[in-house]
Amino acid sequence: MQQSRAHLWFIGPALALMVVILLIPIAIAAGLSLTDYSLGNSGAEFVGLENYEKIFTRSTYEKMFGATFRYVFVVVPLTVGLGLGAAMMIHSLGRIGDIYKTIYFLPVMAALIAMAIVWEFAFHPTIGVVNATLERGCGTILENWAWYAKGCERTFPLWLNDRDYAIWTVSFIGIWQGFGFNMVLYLAGLTSIPPSLYDAAEMDGAQSGWDRFRLVTWPMLGPTTVFVITISFIRTFQVFDMVEAFYPQGGGPSKSVYVMMFAIYEKGIQQNLMGIGAAITVVFLAFVMILTLIQRWFVERRTHYV
Amino acid sequence: MSKISLQSIEKSFGETPVLKQVSLDIEEGEFVTLVGPSGCGKSTLLRILSGLEQADAGRVSIGGMNVTDVRPAERNLAMVFQSYALYPHLSVADNMMTPLRMRDLPMWGRLPMIGPLLARDTYRVMQGQVREVAETLKITPLLDRKPGQLSGGQRQRVALGRAMVRQPVAFLMDEPLSNLDAALRVHMRAELSELHRRLKTTFVYVTHDQAEALTMSDRMAVMMHGNILQVGPPDEIYANPNCLEVARFIGSPAINTFAAEIQSDGHLALIGTTLSLVQPLTRAPVTVGIRPEHLFLSPTGRFQGHVRYRENLGSDVFLHLDVEGAQQPVVLRANPAQAAQVTLRNRVCFDLEPDKVLLFQSTGERLPCALATREVA
Ligand SMILES: Nc1ncnc2c1ncn2[C@@H]1O[C@H](COP(=O)(O)OP(=O)(O)O)[C@@H](O)[C@H]1O
Ligand SMILES: [Mg+2]
Repeated sequence: MQQSRAHLWFIGPALALMVVILLIPIAIAAGLSLTDYSLGNSGAEFVGLENYEKIFTRSTYEKMFGATFRYVFVVVPLTVGLGLGAAMMIHSLGRIGDIYKTIYFLPVMAALIAMAIVWEFAFHPTIGVVNATLERGCGTILENWAWYAKGCERTFPLWLNDRDYAIWTVSFIGIWQGFGFNMVLYLAGLTSIPPSLYDAAEMDGAQSGWDRFRLVTWPMLGPTTVFVITISFIRTFQVFDMVEAFYPQGGGPSKSVYVMMFAIYEKGIQQNLMGIGAAITVVFLAFVMILTLIQRWFVERRTHYV
Repeated sequence: MSKISLQSIEKSFGETPVLKQVSLDIEEGEFVTLVGPSGCGKSTLLRILSGLEQADAGRVSIGGMNVTDVRPAERNLAMVFQSYALYPHLSVADNMMTPLRMRDLPMWGRLPMIGPLLARDTYRVMQGQVREVAETLKITPLLDRKPGQLSGGQRQRVALGRAMVRQPVAFLMDEPLSNLDAALRVHMRAELSELHRRLKTTFVYVTHDQAEALTMSDRMAVMMHGNILQVGPPDEIYANPNCLEVARFIGSPAINTFAAEIQSDGHLALIGTTLSLVQPLTRAPVTVGIRPEHLFLSPTGRFQGHVRYRENLGSDVFLHLDVEGAQQPVVLRANPAQAAQVTLRNRVCFDLEPDKVLLFQSTGERLPCALATREVA
């Protein structure tokens, strides 16, 4: 029996392209992560899992994971929540909403590295608008708040350069920058909900906004939410430019803002330690992979309304 | 007791008036159909009755109570939507239980997961109600499926089931059958009538299909460009339309119309023939309407035409005739035996049943006058 080989010609080109531009680079990174290769060196020693051992034992990398996860687990829920809130508000506003849509989307379009300069200015301890505003509040009822009173007594924090505040300040800017993107995705999701479902909910006795949200909006946004959360995770894991702009040297006060992407850049590019840089990359890819798998599982299990 | 009454309802979308002073009274337990061409404002009127849309002026009352400003949820009406509007993430059983959950359970009982545990007794009662309705509609095997896994007809039943689980004052249906295939549509007509007989609840049914209106309703209201033109039992509207528009809209194939004239001697001149009237009228141009089944082939017929097309429906054959002096082809109903003797493009003679002829003024209003059944030669 002769079998046609035509199928190879159909899948062949796509397969070859995928191997060349996706799989080979990942394989190379994985290979490099097992060596102590430096760019320019003619050869490299095979060091086994030593690079990975470093990543999971040394305190620098512990800080790296700490900073990354803090950033990710603050920024993701808040950008998703604010994105949904803003989208629902704009959706209910109708025409005027377009103005808000543009405003909220501006930070997404603006280069974060340029915006970082503005924020650096705003958070400046002496000439910055943030602390100047906070000082205005001194002597008022706000002083009942111990933290506030302390700020008035001495000075308000060095938002970007205090190791207790830096990561949260950076997270705040990340939220400011990122929620507009989620908002746009949610707006698309909201627009695609058939209005007749809200009519049906009303006839069924869903009287409060919360009832309608629970019965129609939230479930109908399920697929959007899974996508938004995955995208947000990947985007926040990839945060780099802001850290590079604020802290070109060393990842912030006591490395408290030493996020993964910055670590890869510092090790692999600045210090030319390709092996360890590649190892961090592989760990990063593993995280992204896990997230994607979780997303697929959700899409297939929960939100697929066949 | 639960009489529904719409009084002088007005509604515009922007500059466009959609409903102009529409009034309609619906008795308890009646099956009333709003029928009219697309865009005439039927859905808008139904949505105003349900409360989903707010009227610009007028009054809606249910059971003698003014509900014009009452929320839809509190009017205790149930609605079946054209698109069914089932919740795609809920199973059929949960879809049907939603109206009960929203009304009969307190906030804490509606919580996911723990709600069913906290309000276990209520849930059991509600599940019983759902199962009972599912039994009636023969959808019990579908209870665990999601709407996406159902055919159009099954979804339609589920939507009906969701409306039926609680005892509403009235069922409002907006073209519920228009997404079904032809055979199922005819079947569901009978089933809806049967359901109405059994439930004895008021049905307000919107459709653009005059056949649905004729087959199902106790009374029908013919709507056109934002007005209700005529309200009455289907037979009466069919036999006695009060204006030309209603006559043209109801009945398929449509009624034949001819431009004619009442002559100075009080006779009617119709495509070359003179007919006498029961009582003479003053001279005026009129429109004559006669339904295809009131024309018949007859060798001694006073009219003649050429057969241009035979529309064979099996039980009946509609002959389309080119008649000199008539603007459009004249449609005539013949039985298959007669029609078999007719060949295309041949000349046939036909006549009309004079007592069935309808006369309309040039403005479209009905003239209360009939033809004399016997010609005074
Ligand atoms: N929400 C709306 N906004 C603007 N125009 C509308 C709206 N709903 C209906 N209309 C207009 O009102 C008219 C009547 O609509 P509708 O009641 O849906 O007609 P029907 O159900 O008889 O086909 C149509 O011309 C339609 O374009
Ligand atoms: Mg409609």
